[in-house]
Amino acid sequence: MNDPYKVLNVPSTATDEEVKKAYRELARKYHPDNYHDNPLADLAQEKMKEINEAYSTIQKMRHQSGGQASYSGQGGYSRSSYGGYGGYQQADYSQGTPFQRVRFAIQRNDLNMAEQLLSAISDHTAEWHFLRGAICMRRGWLDEARRSFQQACAMDPGNGEYRQALERLENSGQAYRPAGFEVFTSDCGSSNLCGGLLCSYCLCNSCIGGTMCC
Amino acid sequence: MFGYVRPAADHLSEEESRAYKALYCGLCHTLGRRYGGVSRWILNYDFTFLAALLSGTVATEQRRCIASPFRARTAAVGNDALDLAADCSVILTGYKLRDEVLDSSFLRSQGCRAAGAVLGGAFRKACERRPRFAGHTKEEMARLLSLEQRRCATLDEPADTFASLLAGIAGEVEDPVQRRVLTQFLYHLGRWIYLVDALDDLEKDAGEGQYNPILLRCGLQDGKLSGEDRRSVVVTLDASIRQMAAAFELWDFGPWSGVIRATVYDGLYRVGNAVLEGTFHASPRKKDRGGKKEHI
Repeated sequence: MNDPYKVLNVPSTATDEEVKKAYRELARKYHPDNYHDNPLADLAQEKMKEINEAYSTIQKMRHQSGGQASYSGQGGYSRSSYGGYGGYQQADYSQGTPFQRVRFAIQRNDLNMAEQLLSAISDHTAEWHFLRGAICMRRGWLDEARRSFQQACAMDPGNGEYRQALERLENSGQAYRPAGFEVFTSDCGSSNLCGGLLCSYCLCNSCIGGTMCC
Repeated sequence: MFGYVRPAADHLSEEESRAYKALYCGLCHTLGRRYGGVSRWILNYDFTFLAALLSGTVATEQRRCIASPFRARTAAVGNDALDLAADCSVILTGYKLRDEVLDSSFLRSQGCRAAGAVLGGAFRKACERRPRFAGHTKEEMARLLSLEQRRCATLDEPADTFASLLAGIAGEVEDPVQRRVLTQFLYHLGRWIYLVDALDDLEKDAGEGQYNPILLRCGLQDGKLSGEDRRSVVVTLDASIRQMAAAFELWDFGPWSGVIRATVYDGLYRVGNAVLEGTFHASPRKKDRGGKKEHI
């Protein structure tokens, strides 16, 4: 296994508090919510496993007895699912309801199969729209995904799974960002935000001999 | 379509800015070496960003050039990644010029035709060097043209052509994990560039009757997007930026991490804001930052 301190990007002299802070920052970065319906979810899951193991190892090294308890307190991060379609441990496409088969295909990242299975279902229920949205998400067709999730939520407003999918897509400030990064594309207008861009022009111009003034 | 990808300068350290400038100079020298001096005018910061995504550690050297004939500047030494970035830049510019010949008024299209003729030899050479990417680009451009002709009214479909096109660059990378990360990153970079460009051209296209997916998907009220439509566009732009950021965190981009971080966590949002507010062109005009004339 890699040096656990290297994995958490802290020196071995870091205090318990610093180790914990570094762990939390990384766990927030690779949190399943940031990789839901993402074709790279498996890579994020690997990262998370590595981080959890590194933190656990450091805890064990430092607190031979009490460490385990404090680590398991953080376990919530590793429990959430990256695919969001867990619980369907089927072996092939012949099992389960039609919707379960679609979920199974999505989980395996077999999007063409998922689409094919979905198009064979004529009853366009809320779940149908939700699953269409999930397929669009993975393909990167984010506008269609949003419309499908909206449709699913409109048809079944009480469903938490559909609402969460829509909220994740619309973000509302939940996704990970490093400290100090706060700008969003704003739909309510704020004119002082392009300041940093002008600096970029400067950066550009200084390289080509400053032929344009900014 | 080029010129939107910029890191936020205030999030870059002095050293990171210097290294990025050196990469810019290195890409320029690479273009000159591989395609002759005239190809250098296609250089812009979007292609430099592409080089940053593809490069690991690069060596630097002091070199004079036409833009700085007396004082030598620090430039990245050419390597495989810069070669790839240069080849793809020539291919992309070549197709962009062809597209504009089809798409533009007579005078402008003559300009693009002339530029295309000048670049012609370089374009052919680049296509020979990267047949897979050139073939892929040709296919995607044809797909975009047919979507435009049938006036496709979704955002995702036309954006998917340019997104897939950029993602194709990742196919030239060896490492399987790096290739997956870059495919996802470049897909959403391409998607974002395509949509932000459509947003930028909204009023112009409405006036000239040109194809614009945002115009067809949303429509304008009194020459502007409605509040709800604005939100739809913003949500979809930001969601693509977040996908880029999520991909970025899964690969070690070495010395370019700072530049990429300052782009995907800040710079792109600022550009989106400026385009949305109509202030993006308050500085150099669009034709002046299209990566053409200013670099001669």
